[in-house]
Amino acid sequence: MESAVGLLLVEAGPRSNAMTISCFSEVAHHPTTLWVSVAKTSYSHELIKETGRFSLAVLSLNQKIAAISCGTVSGRQQDKCASLDLYSSPAGFLFLRGALASTGCRVRQTIDIDDQTLFIADIVETDLDTRNAHLRHLLLSDFRDL
Amino acid sequence: MIWPGRTIWDTRVQSVCGIISARGEKEPELSGSASFAQFSLSPLRVIINPNRTYPIEPAIQQAGRFAINVLPASERKLMIKLMKVRRRQPGKANVLGLRLSEDEHRIPFLEQALRTVFCEVERTIEAGDRKLYVARVLESRINSGISNERPLLFEEVTSGESSFFALRQTARQILIRSGALDLIKKLRYRRRPPPAPNIARTTYEQAGATEEELATILKYGALDSSRRLSPPPPPAILRKELGICVVGTGWGYLHCRYLRQASPKVRLFVCGRNPEKTAHLAHAVGAEAYFIGLEQAVDDPRVQALTLALPHDLHRQAVELATAAGKHALVEKPIATTLADADAMIWAAKRAGTILMVAEDMHFRPAVREASQRIERGDIGEPLYLLAHAGGIRRPSGWAAEKARMGGGVLIDIGVHYIRGLRLLLGEPDSVLATRAMQINTRMSEEDSVQLLFSSRAGWEAHMLLSWVSQRGHLPDIVIAGEKGTLHLWPGVHYFDYYPVAPVLTTRIVSQLRPYWLQEKLLRPTLQRIRIKLRDRDVTGYLREMQEFLAAVAEQREPVTPAADGRRDLEIVLAGYEALASSRQTEIRALD
Repeated sequence: MESAVGLLLVEAGPRSNAMTISCFSEVAHHPTTLWVSVAKTSYSHELIKETGRFSLAVLSLNQKIAAISCGTVSGRQQDKCASLDLYSSPAGFLFLRGALASTGCRVRQTIDIDDQTLFIADIVETDLDTRNAHLRHLLLSDFRDL
Repeated sequence: MIWPGRTIWDTRVQSVCGIISARGEKEPELSGSASFAQFSLSPLRVIINPNRTYPIEPAIQQAGRFAINVLPASERKLMIKLMKVRRRQPGKANVLGLRLSEDEHRIPFLEQALRTVFCEVERTIEAGDRKLYVARVLESRINSGISNERPLLFEEVTSGESSFFALRQTARQILIRSGALDLIKKLRYRRRPPPAPNIARTTYEQAGATEEELATILKYGALDSSRRLSPPPPPAILRKELGICVVGTGWGYLHCRYLRQASPKVRLFVCGRNPEKTAHLAHAVGAEAYFIGLEQAVDDPRVQALTLALPHDLHRQAVELATAAGKHALVEKPIATTLADADAMIWAAKRAGTILMVAEDMHFRPAVREASQRIERGDIGEPLYLLAHAGGIRRPSGWAAEKARMGGGVLIDIGVHYIRGLRLLLGEPDSVLATRAMQINTRMSEEDSVQLLFSSRAGWEAHMLLSWVSQRGHLPDIVIAGEKGTLHLWPGVHYFDYYPVAPVLTTRIVSQLRPYWLQEKLLRPTLQRIRIKLRDRDVTGYLREMQEFLAAVAEQREPVTPAADGRRDLEIVLAGYEALASSRQTEIRALD
């Protein structure tokens, strides 16, 4: 289905990971929450379970390469964060430079549905990067030619 | 540059736009959304988060199925219109002119969508002011005709109905790329530093709701089904010859005038009791012939229909006589003075297979039609109050001053029009309270002024002030106040006024002016006024009312406003009289 593409960024002590994701959206305005769906077998799942925090960077159209590089290899095999232009937010979340927006979230509720976990999280802080504000979202349909 | 986000919309998680559709209780429900996404690939599941105050939420809950209609970028205007439509508006598809289909999935869907995802709900998750629906995908159907088109994005619809969308987008891009936007923001923040960001609080303040607030909002229902009547489009012009006899030589003159204007195909006859007056009227309006006494008129084979401009107490007798002779009838409002008479008239017409229509010009008044459409489209948000102020100096005499013949005073005479207006604009009232000031015209047996307060369980109220003994001055006769704007309807003019709550450009400019004394001097309520011209020149609706009657007779069909509508108006008027007599809030019978 047509949807936006983002990077799920998690940092748990010395371990960190970046995972390409398109299963995310808003939950509610009060409380101000969003959801992400993560496969139970993924490395990010393990890290979120450990810390209860994650960041979501919504990608712009010119970040296709970052989406591909973080979506084709497991974080257990490779430190994907090393190749990304990341910085730490005031509340200590990993944020991505050049993303349309990076949002730090704290998990409020987890719901297991088959092999996925639905993480419902409070939105703690968001950074907007104006360098790419003129670009649209990177969409799943932009990968049609791959 | 990096700026802190202040609301949930700054997270940019709202991306692809679509319309969620589901079967509603009576008709399909629709809701715009930019926060749906797939949850898992195998099995394919999606999640949507409908707002709990929108009717789509109970519709999905009841139907257990819904469709996500992903919109192509070319449907930007449709999405903007849908986002603007009143939240509690029933029949949103009709308001937007959308045609929905339904197939074996038993889910209404949009054929012009880029993709339609048919879903069945598996579980719901309580999540504050929204509810999450996790659903299994039954089928994902791509529209091959437009499969190369990009989906519509949320950022493309947030600017609203700007007619210079492309220009604004280009200007924004230039400002962003040149760094000018950052510079402006920096200067503004230096001059007036913003408070520390608090996404949860700011989002809640702008669009969130607590459980208590949700309960308050939903107290009046997610859907406002109180409105049963809709103003019709202008009727067709009569193309075939018809013999019409106007009965009554007083108000009947106006009937003759409008019949003459309505169509050149009308063969006009007049009928009265007074030979001199009747002959004079026939001559004045160029009638083909005239009749003395109704019996003569109904017996004449040249006459197919009658318009009755008679004292109210004679309506029943006249209609029964006409229908017995197989003639159609247009009767002046009110339909009668009692419900028993109204029922007898409706029954007589039904038995004879003839058309009976009540002359209610409010039903055809162009300003009412336009205002009603604006309410549906969401221009004033939820309508809250209707104020009607009508009357003027008038001293009724003869039968019009006698209760037995007139049925009452100013309420039954003028109030009946505004009750129809209320029904067309807001809906059916559930109760009425009536009070009145002292009687000035002691020659009248009934009230020469009255005020009424109508209430609806749907959450709106209406106040009517009707008087024949005080001057109305330069005021609109109907004001409809809503949460997002107010409409002023003026009698007898070719326009109406719209005052949006959101400041218009001139108000925004003036509100920035300094010094303050200059701003105060220039900042007038009329700056917010948007005057809307009416294309229909028949500002009262009398002409269209006459044309509709002629069209109904010529086409042998029920008029767009059948006599039952007039009976209902009378029922509400009589409830008003009951409230006036008892000084108590009086229930009005609910329609089935």
